[in-house]
Amino acid sequence: MNNRNRKTTALLLAAGLTAMAALSGCSGGKSAGNVATGNNGAAGEGGSGEPVTITYYTIDSEDRTFVEKLIPDFEKEHPNIQVKVEKAPYEQFDSKLQTLIAGGKSPDVTSHYGYGGFAEYYNKDMLLDLTDLIKEDGFKAEDYHIPDNLMKIYTVKDRTYGIPVNMYVTLMLYNKDMFDAAKLSYPPSDYEDKSWTFDKMVEEAKKMTLVSDDIAKTQYGVDFTWAERDMRPLYFGAEPYSEDTWSNGGVPSETHFDSPEVIAAYQKLFDLIFKDKVSPTSEWSKSVAGQNGDPFVAGKIGMSIGGSWNLAGANDFPFKIGVAAVPWGGNDKVRSTLFVDPLMILKDSKHPKEAFEWIKYLVTTEVQEKSIELSGGNPPVNTEAAEAYYKHFEGIDPQDVKKVYEGAVKYGFESYNHLITNYSQINDMFINELQPVETGHKTLEEVMPVIQKKVTEIIKR
Amino acid sequence: MSIVRTANHRPAASAHRRRIDPVKAASFITLLITTFLMLLPLFFMVSTSLKSKKEMLKFPPTFLPESWAWSNYRDIFDTLQFGTLYKNSLIIAVLTVIGTLISSGLVAYGFARFRGRGNQFLFVLVLSTMMLPYPAIMIPQFVLFSHMNWIDTFLPLIVPAFFGSAYNIFLLRQFFTTLPEELFDAGRIDGCGELRMWWTIALPLSAPALATVAIFAFIYSWNDLLTPVLYLSSSEKFTLPVGMASLTSSRFRIPPWHLLMVASVLAMLPIVTLFALAQKQFVEGIVLTGIK
Repeated sequence: MNNRNRKTTALLLAAGLTAMAALSGCSGGKSAGNVATGNNGAAGEGGSGEPVTITYYTIDSEDRTFVEKLIPDFEKEHPNIQVKVEKAPYEQFDSKLQTLIAGGKSPDVTSHYGYGGFAEYYNKDMLLDLTDLIKEDGFKAEDYHIPDNLMKIYTVKDRTYGIPVNMYVTLMLYNKDMFDAAKLSYPPSDYEDKSWTFDKMVEEAKKMTLVSDDIAKTQYGVDFTWAERDMRPLYFGAEPYSEDTWSNGGVPSETHFDSPEVIAAYQKLFDLIFKDKVSPTSEWSKSVAGQNGDPFVAGKIGMSIGGSWNLAGANDFPFKIGVAAVPWGGNDKVRSTLFVDPLMILKDSKHPKEAFEWIKYLVTTEVQEKSIELSGGNPPVNTEAAEAYYKHFEGIDPQDVKKVYEGAVKYGFESYNHLITNYSQINDMFINELQPVETGHKTLEEVMPVIQKKVTEIIKR
Repeated sequence: MSIVRTANHRPAASAHRRRIDPVKAASFITLLITTFLMLLPLFFMVSTSLKSKKEMLKFPPTFLPESWAWSNYRDIFDTLQFGTLYKNSLIIAVLTVIGTLISSGLVAYGFARFRGRGNQFLFVLVLSTMMLPYPAIMIPQFVLFSHMNWIDTFLPLIVPAFFGSAYNIFLLRQFFTTLPEELFDAGRIDGCGELRMWWTIALPLSAPALATVAIFAFIYSWNDLLTPVLYLSSSEKFTLPVGMASLTSSRFRIPPWHLLMVASVLAMLPIVTLFALAQKQFVEGIVLTGIK
């Protein structure tokens, strides 16, 4: 039984296996540093004939992968450039990007389509400074009808890191059927209409709210999901992050989440649920619409303040809808949130020049117009192409969409989730800490000092 | 336990009156209710898979579809390259199962049947690989396979299975150690080599354990999302979970839940089949262990 030979065979077998496991665990730790540095490669070899392949990294969903259909025309115009699309599901977008970069297979062009926002990419030093490329190329934002204030969003200390491509805004969708039933006139789409205020909205919401034991009959007047949670005080004019955040790449030197102004702002929002009782609790919303669903879609909400992506499903809603301006809430400068997606070139790109050609192609009026149809309603940044976007939604007056968009750009502030470092952690923390307030188990006075402390910690990481 | 005892000890004389045993009835009803509760989500999955896009958004949700949208089962093939995804997933899962059974079976046999210096240490070393979570080895492994030019092939998804997995090695080793020594002595007298004994004695007697490992390996590979996402880049090589994840990946669109449910129903079939086959092995395995 204890044959020596067999013993050695078995030991060898086991040793081999362990070695394999150990090997796969330890190799290549140095990876991230030794990849070719950007900016040098392609600069000189413009006309040399040998075609280069650039990789565009995006989300694997129909409203993103439509770019594959734009490639043939681009390659016809640029015979020396080939474009490959690399894609990942939303949840795995960041993991795959990190792995590709660390593994020396960095894509050339992408946007912050995953959990992480621009500031995270910037602070991890993943992005190529486009300033010189832009100068060399003679790229002018106005040639592509991109408003100047949008170009500034992704400029840090006078260096440009991204070219805007799509822009969602915060707007109000309303259920016309519910307004008709309550005999109310529709809210205005004009941001200059001074009568349209937060208090007026609450008043109208009261007339549409109906709380009943029968869950199928219950309906609420308004669902106010303006921006991410940490940004909401801004709507009422309270600023939780210090001013330097917006110029230094998203690292706030101070935060004020425990200040009386910020707490008062949150109080106003929670009053909608607990005092005025015109907004649903989060439990009710979840039971009606599922974990990440929107109860407005189920036809149980009169007015829904949220991102303009809610428009995309409009043609399938079983009721008539309209769009309106976000009412004035006490902040004369900011009433809407902008969600501008920039196209960025990654630092490890070996062909930044060719990558920039691809970016320019994607923001031309013709391609931006085509993209609206192909993507099923992605809003362009190009104001010339935007005219086509305003007409895209069945049963909604294009003039209203236009007014709401133009007002949002005028009174808009870029969403914090793109601008603040370590944002996914901040956002997760907010969701967890505010949970007991949303269920009515804790007060804001108890929770906000904790949030203030935790935000400070996360920013320092 | 007590239920069985009461049933067995009841005098045979009362049997002719077919009285209903209250304990038995209560347990039967409890089981029935639990079964119902367990099957409810499954029922909703099938029911939603047959609803139209408009009906899927309805609140309160309908229990049965108002109009049966059988066309969903055709639409899934237009929305995703469903056939290709299914085929890719099957190829990878079947090869993973074969690889796991061979490699983990061999290593486990070694650990179970041989005593030697460092044996315990090596076993602990193998088990300790279980403590490394995938994200920790994700990048080094990617670098390794990328140097081997295996990116965008099935190899990184299949080949690792041929190098054993600690959990399955542990499971099989425990089973192999319970096999009676006499069988192997008899084999040795007849002139069997170790590999032959592994193949003709150990493996056939371990059907239940092998079936368990096969199920684990299959389900793991069938459900795996992150690894194929990292290694595959052309759409025609994607697996089922990757394709299905794309349906819910847009933050700006309402996901087509009805089609996702169609995909889920179809994706469940191989696992249900495998369970049915494996269950037979469990029963037969208990009967046929050979020596009492």
